[in-house]
Amino acid sequence: MRTSKFVLRLALLGVVVMLALGISVVSAQEPSIINLYSSGDTNITDWLQNIIIPAFEAEYPQYKVQFTNSRAAGDEPIIDRAMAALQTDDDPQVEVMDIDPRGFGASVEAGLWYEPTVEEIPNLANVIEAAQVTPLAASYRGSQVLIAYNSEVVAEEDVPTTFAELIEWIKANPGQFVYCRPDRGGSGGNFVRRAVYEVSGMDPAVWTPEFNQELVDEFYPQAMALLQEIHPFIYDDGAYPAGNNPVLELFASGEVSMISAWSDQAIQGIDRGFLPETTKLLQFTDLPMPGGYTMLAIPKNAANLKGAQDFVNWFLSPEAQALVVEVIGGFPAIAWDQLTPELQERFNSVITDNVPTWPGGDYNPPLTELWYETVATNIDPNS
Amino acid sequence: MTTLTLSMRDRLKRYAAREGFGLFALIFLIIFIVLPILTVLLWGFAIRWRFPAVIPTEWGFDFWQETLSRADLRRAFPNSIVLSISVTLLSMVICLPASYAFARMNFRGKQFFLLSFLFTNAFPRLGLYVAIAIIFFRLGLVGTFAGVVIVQLLNTLLLMIWIPTAAFQGVERSLEEAALDVGASRLRVFMQITLPLVFPAVFAAVLLTFVNTFYETYGALLIGAPNVLTIPVIMFPLINNQPIPQYGAILSLVLFAPSVVLLLFANRLLRGGYLTAGFGV
Amino acid sequence: MVARSTRSLLPYILITPPIILVFGLIFFPAAQSFVRTLTGVDGSFSFERYLEFMNDRSSVTSLIFTFQVTFLSLIGLFAICYPLALYLRFSNSRVAYWAQMVALLPLFVPGIMSAYALIRFFRGRGLLETIIYQLSPVLSETYYSPYVKPEGIIIGSIWESIPFTVLVLLAGLRQVESGLIESAQDVGASRWTIFFQIILPLTRRAALIAFCLNFIAIFGSYTIPYLLGPAAPQTLGVLMQRTYQEYAQPLQAETQAVITFAVCALVGLLYVRTVSSQRTGRN
Repeated sequence: MRTSKFVLRLALLGVVVMLALGISVVSAQEPSIINLYSSGDTNITDWLQNIIIPAFEAEYPQYKVQFTNSRAAGDEPIIDRAMAALQTDDDPQVEVMDIDPRGFGASVEAGLWYEPTVEEIPNLANVIEAAQVTPLAASYRGSQVLIAYNSEVVAEEDVPTTFAELIEWIKANPGQFVYCRPDRGGSGGNFVRRAVYEVSGMDPAVWTPEFNQELVDEFYPQAMALLQEIHPFIYDDGAYPAGNNPVLELFASGEVSMISAWSDQAIQGIDRGFLPETTKLLQFTDLPMPGGYTMLAIPKNAANLKGAQDFVNWFLSPEAQALVVEVIGGFPAIAWDQLTPELQERFNSVITDNVPTWPGGDYNPPLTELWYETVATNIDPNS
Repeated sequence: MTTLTLSMRDRLKRYAAREGFGLFALIFLIIFIVLPILTVLLWGFAIRWRFPAVIPTEWGFDFWQETLSRADLRRAFPNSIVLSISVTLLSMVICLPASYAFARMNFRGKQFFLLSFLFTNAFPRLGLYVAIAIIFFRLGLVGTFAGVVIVQLLNTLLLMIWIPTAAFQGVERSLEEAALDVGASRLRVFMQITLPLVFPAVFAAVLLTFVNTFYETYGALLIGAPNVLTIPVIMFPLINNQPIPQYGAILSLVLFAPSVVLLLFANRLLRGGYLTAGFGV
Repeated sequence: MVARSTRSLLPYILITPPIILVFGLIFFPAAQSFVRTLTGVDGSFSFERYLEFMNDRSSVTSLIFTFQVTFLSLIGLFAICYPLALYLRFSNSRVAYWAQMVALLPLFVPGIMSAYALIRFFRGRGLLETIIYQLSPVLSETYYSPYVKPEGIIIGSIWESIPFTVLVLLAGLRQVESGLIESAQDVGASRWTIFFQIILPLTRRAALIAFCLNFIAIFGSYTIPYLLGPAAPQTLGVLMQRTYQEYAQPLQAETQAVITFAVCALVGLLYVRTVSSQRTGRN
């Protein structure tokens, strides 16, 4: 009997401790907090945390930006959380997400996203037309995918200048080229999309933002056939790493001598010395590899909607856009001529206007799926 | 002189015959387990390390300063420590009485309830945590310390119930009864006889629970974000999604160091078979 | 007696807090998702999700692949751990002490760090190939990198499961009484006879327990197959993540989750039978 009393007391103590813990840490959500989420690569997340947020807070002292790197679980669970909060009218604890909402169809259908307007976000007027890809979010930076090669290994006269030449080079140099899985990193995704452009007459205008199943049916299998041609010649008999950075690491260690890479990551890698000094970058002369605009999306049930709008508005100001160009070597979402003349001068070489923008959205899942089912497995798409 | 060498050689030979497999196994384990960990150590202090150099060609601490001064890690560190301690303590508080019941009392459905803890580890996590987040929104627990504590508690139940249950079962009833016969109170018997006997097993369970909780990632992110962030949530992208290997290496080492100390403790405990007893061996 | 009713309630009171957690936060959501997967497009009861899974080539490939990887990992695991545990059981030398110490090391290494370490060690031009290259450049040309290959998952799974397996097998072997072996030696039984006639049958239970618990852990794992495994085929854990995140098809992901759970639950039942049947036998 005494034992049971003793154990009961223990159990009671447990309940008390549990309650005490629950009460002592009631987290009051200050209205001035802006919760920002990104699952981007570390060069982007570090830039957001160390440069962008301090700069914003300096200008808007009434706000505090709380940053979460959601890479460990991805964006989808955070969006699902926000959708659940939308249904129950709770605070989603999300103000701004560094995502393209079109990649999350269910959330679009559920009407989760706030559609930014010029009235509420005046700087939206600065955004160039090419960057206005969806009404559901505001583009804030652009980047392009390039080919990086080690000039110590690849002779200058062998360096490909077009996509077709690259295909030939890959076949002539087995095991020396690699790109990552298309869903795991844009450097691989845009390489695959460039293959789609290659088989569809190299005309990005064909791929209009409205989803067109016929285009998918006609050109995706052809693009897959092209990628299957080079599959046996990819690094380690067709081994595709799970992200942009594992590819850069294979290149840095000398396992491969040519890769598909994001321009900003490659430039930073050369600057910081983790890529060989002999690394060179090239863009195709016929049609560049597609890049894309990265955007900030705001759930419409955000508790601090005003803060989110102010943050996005500030991000689209010429001062903040200069940080895109200067610090991470990305493209601004606003016109180049709105930036300072010095900056325009310095980045003259990267200023291009012919980087095609892939429409994304519903076009992506079938492309990824087909890639996994045919190229990665090396199965004939028509079988 | 020759006889001495001979006998030594003889001894060596006998030693090799007896320990030959042991040496072989040890070398294999060193290559398979220690060398990968050593790779991390080398990367942690490397400035430049390219094939075919076996060890870095340039050494330095440059990356340590940069990694350890990260504001997000500094903010997350106290969170992680307080969380792990709270979860471990709370887990003891709710699990030890339960394991006492499982070991010492007879009731309907005992086997079923005991086994239900096994299945906590068999259902895929990510989707489950989203479902829990949906429940927690109603309870106002998303983004709170208490919410993360509860979700991390789930992961501790299996070890914290099974291992102590086996330990309580292992205590000879006759010992306790003898003490009761000579007039000791129940509480005293529990404190002075039962508790010391189960202590090593409980300690092994506590140790593993603390380590596992400290490294738990998904629950902390999906329930804790954005207010409660822990070290592994921040580490995950830095280790696996970072072209500079040094960051991951340094973070791994910093986090691994306390584990090594625990391992020195735990080796004796684990040799005692408390962990395995809990799983019914 | 008044105490009687409280006493019969007491165990339930004591187990209530952990049981509430398990039922409220694991079984309840899991059951909900199970019901969702059994609901057809028109809202009625239907197996169509599972039929869809069975008719989808990549899902089936993934299921088979997950089984293959799990079994091969388990075979490798036992090939390493059984002899090791046997040695550790019968030796008290310093070598044995250190061998056990090293074998337990992975228990204290978090999943992300082990993947990180294994990638840098085993991939092409990693530390292993570098060492081989320094010994013999010719030999290093034949080096086969397991990184981004099925072998990578197997190596990673074995690496992570060694400590637990060694401990379980060792505990099983400790139950084989030394006296039993000595008396067998006295009547002239050979080492092999002792092994096959005495040790093996007596450790069957421990081996089954190690098999079941490792199966559950490896079959549903995510980090190792994702970071070390190939783009295709992928294990169910990785496919589930892709279905959920990239294709945004939560219902299909749930179906995959339920199938994973069902397989693990079956193995869990095998474990239950192993543990309970022998326990009653022993008491």
